[in-house]
Amino acid sequence: MTWTDEELVARSIRGDADSFNELILRWERPIYALAYRQIGREEDARDVCQETFLRAYRALSGFRGQAKFSSWLYRIALNLCRDWLRRERRAPTVQAPEDVDLTDLAAAREPSESIEDLVARRDLSRTVEQAMALLPEEQRTAIILKEYHGLTFQEIADLVECPLSTVKTRLYQGLSVLRRELARATSASQR
Amino acid sequence: MSYLYDAIDPIERASFDAHLATCEQCRTELSELRNVRVQLGRWTPPGLASAPDAASPTGRLAVFWARLREIPAWAQVAAALLFLGIAAGIANLDVRYGRDGLVVRTGWSNPPNPSSLANPLNSAGAVPPASLAGPESKPWRGDLAVLEERLRADLRASEGAMRAAMSHAGGAGTSAPGVEAEVTRRVRALIDESEHRQQRELALRVADIMRDVNAQRQADLVKIDRSLGFIQTNTGVEVAKQRELLNYLVRVSQRQ
Repeated sequence: MTWTDEELVARSIRGDADSFNELILRWERPIYALAYRQIGREEDARDVCQETFLRAYRALSGFRGQAKFSSWLYRIALNLCRDWLRRERRAPTVQAPEDVDLTDLAAAREPSESIEDLVARRDLSRTVEQAMALLPEEQRTAIILKEYHGLTFQEIADLVECPLSTVKTRLYQGLSVLRRELARATSASQR
Repeated sequence: MSYLYDAIDPIERASFDAHLATCEQCRTELSELRNVRVQLGRWTPPGLASAPDAASPTGRLAVFWARLREIPAWAQVAAALLFLGIAAGIANLDVRYGRDGLVVRTGWSNPPNPSSLANPLNSAGAVPPASLAGPESKPWRGDLAVLEERLRADLRASEGAMRAAMSHAGGAGTSAPGVEAEVTRRVRALIDESEHRQQRELALRVADIMRDVNAQRQADLVKIDRSLGFIQTNTGVEVAKQRELLNYLVRVSQRQ
């Protein structure tokens, strides 16, 4: 039987550790991905991810269920990312390429994908990451929540506490910057 | 944005479709924004399990519950400060800066001076007796010496007063030599009894002090042992992290 998030929360509050484990396993990847895309460092993203669940667990009894559990988690994670960025006083970092090991590359390859395609995909991923790092925090947050987490405009507005129209404006401005930067990167690589 | 993300009601969609059919600029922009979205879809973060300590979900859950039970850093610092404060209080820490420079000593290493205890208002410049200031002197010996000195002074005073009273009585011619001897014997007996009682009291006090000192020493040793355990645990974790970082750097440098 599959429990809903809210049911698992209720069971966790009653002291069922397995239920909270289930919540962690269910949400750790989205939270980690959110943290990584916000701050751009693997290790710090993992720390933020774990701290998110620690804070959630400690505050679990205060979760009243007005919002979805996932929205509550996203809010904690975003606050932690914001704290991290302010503490570091910098934009998200873009990690240096860790390796170009063909073995590693092959492991990440789709069954129908050639090595050349895989390398191109990695390059594009990196180009997008670099372009995203140029965006102001609020635009980047809006794009990440919309593109990678599929939140509605209203959910994003509730999460970042701004009007719905502001969310759309931030999205438009962010996508416009990305369009320009990605076009520039593409033309530079073709030269 | 609503049109781009397909979050638009059918009427507005139809209206925008009609506009797009006639506006080349909007068509181009919409197409480019869609292309940006496609490119955004190619950005994948590194795997969550790429770190050694997070290789499996079970390992990650174990780390989570272990961290949950960890004492926060601020609490550790507070506990350490509390421990130091209590230790300084027990040790009767005395820090002075004077002609001899900075002097730090504990109450235990500086036994109380009998004369300063007998007259606390005149304690400045007091020098401990040479017999008590040696390195072999124990903390309770100071108290013992003070008490002994007091008792002797009291006895001398009471003996002197008794003799004076007896000589006064003898001067009046009301006492025979036999009576005087009897009184002297009784006084001696009283003095002996008093001395025995004081010695018993002294022995009890010494025993009490020694028991307290031993109990406190045991408690301090336990606390020190626990603190060292904490420090060793934290150091182990830090070393593991550093080792992991070093391995990572070595791997990267080898690949380059």
